[in-house]
Amino acid sequence: MEIPLLITAFCALLQVIPYYLNIPVIDAASGTMREWMLLVVNMAVFVGVISLGQVHGKRIQRKGENWPFSVVLIAFMVFMAIVGFPLENIGLGFKNNQYLFMFNNILNPLGGTMYSILAFFITSAAYRAFRARNWEAAFVLISGTIVVMSNAPLFTSSMPFLITWKNWIFDVPNTATGRGVMIGAALGAIALAVRTLMGIERGYLRGGGEE
Amino acid sequence: MAILQSGRLFGLACLLLIMAAVAYYIRAAKGGKVPKVRRVAGIDAIDEAIGRAVEMGKVIFCSHGIANLRGATSGPQTLAGLSVLSYVSKKAIASNARVIVPVRQPEVWPIAADIVETEYKLAGRADEFDQDDIRFLSNNQFGFSSNYMGLMMREKPGANIMIGAYWAESLQLAETGNRVGAFQIAGTAQTSQIPFFLVTSDYCLIGEEIYSAGAYLTQDAPLMASLAGQDVGRIIAVVLGGLGTLAYTVGIETLLDLFGM
Repeated sequence: MEIPLLITAFCALLQVIPYYLNIPVIDAASGTMREWMLLVVNMAVFVGVISLGQVHGKRIQRKGENWPFSVVLIAFMVFMAIVGFPLENIGLGFKNNQYLFMFNNILNPLGGTMYSILAFFITSAAYRAFRARNWEAAFVLISGTIVVMSNAPLFTSSMPFLITWKNWIFDVPNTATGRGVMIGAALGAIALAVRTLMGIERGYLRGGGEE
Repeated sequence: MAILQSGRLFGLACLLLIMAAVAYYIRAAKGGKVPKVRRVAGIDAIDEAIGRAVEMGKVIFCSHGIANLRGATSGPQTLAGLSVLSYVSKKAIASNARVIVPVRQPEVWPIAADIVETEYKLAGRADEFDQDDIRFLSNNQFGFSSNYMGLMMREKPGANIMIGAYWAESLQLAETGNRVGAFQIAGTAQTSQIPFFLVTSDYCLIGEEIYSAGAYLTQDAPLMASLAGQDVGRIIAVVLGGLGTLAYTVGIETLLDLFGM
């Protein structure tokens, strides 16, 4: 068996065994490995920064398409990295005023904006999807209409039974289907884990299945 | 001190049973008995998506989700997405198509880059690999999403393959892909996002289908056989679910105590 596969199997077993068996030595080793993993993951943040620097740096250098936006990105990235650096004794870090200003007044509102445009995407997707072309589509249309109407006081004030219908839709068919998908997905994940442990699933290592 | 963790014996027994079934079928497959696997239209369509992009002279976007490899439920989805990336990049390289891989998690970036680079090396075209095509966009969910959407609007991909763990940005990405006319194949095990992918993509892989994609695409006999072992687990779940429901209905709690062992 190849070394990367042996490492994968060893690390996987080291995490799975403590969940079922109470063996102090393995518990301790598993905890240490989780700490190592956190260190590796946190260092991987620099990989992202380097990748961004490479892509946008090249674009700025060659004055490629939309290069001014790359300047803005790099500038903000450097600025946030500096003011957010954990040196509280010289006024930098998460409590730095400039850092908080950028975070509260730029990053958070931008994220909120992106989240809220989902409303428009849902509307356009629903317009395309809610067509009664066949029985299944008709069921989707009817149940979707009931759920949307039951969330609007305009309708529920005069038709309170909509809330009962909505609750039934959520509690019975929706929950049942969701649980079925979840069970299937969990079993699929177990099978994937077993294949990975046995060294048969190699898609994450290199060319799928090839020696 | 007891060796077995309290309340986990039954779970361990079920897990070992499923692992034994998977191992049995893999062993049988190596002896020539490969089980038949039903067609999954979404996975079959991956070749069609790549072919379409090649004919149109456009790039292929292949995303493995926005999760890392550490999550209990999202990690396997990312792994499944990386398996699909392996296949897509192999086919794209053979067809001289360019694959762009948007990445959200910096810890997954080296893995995705290595997968694509290795495919180039295996094809004997290592010098054609461009690391900038494996793009770390942002660690922030909507920073990633807005960047991915902008990338699609500018590059206008011929195919957009999204298999992995997605959350609220799933609809944004799939709708944008729809608007630029990309052939979309999407799949996730996040139950709340499956409906969005169903209505916006051309083909959708639901739940466990994404985990079988890697096995299905390679047509490797042991991998295909492991899917049969997975079905044994499903049978166990259905039988136990039925028995548990009946037992609870008539007031027999012995079975429930067994599940809680």
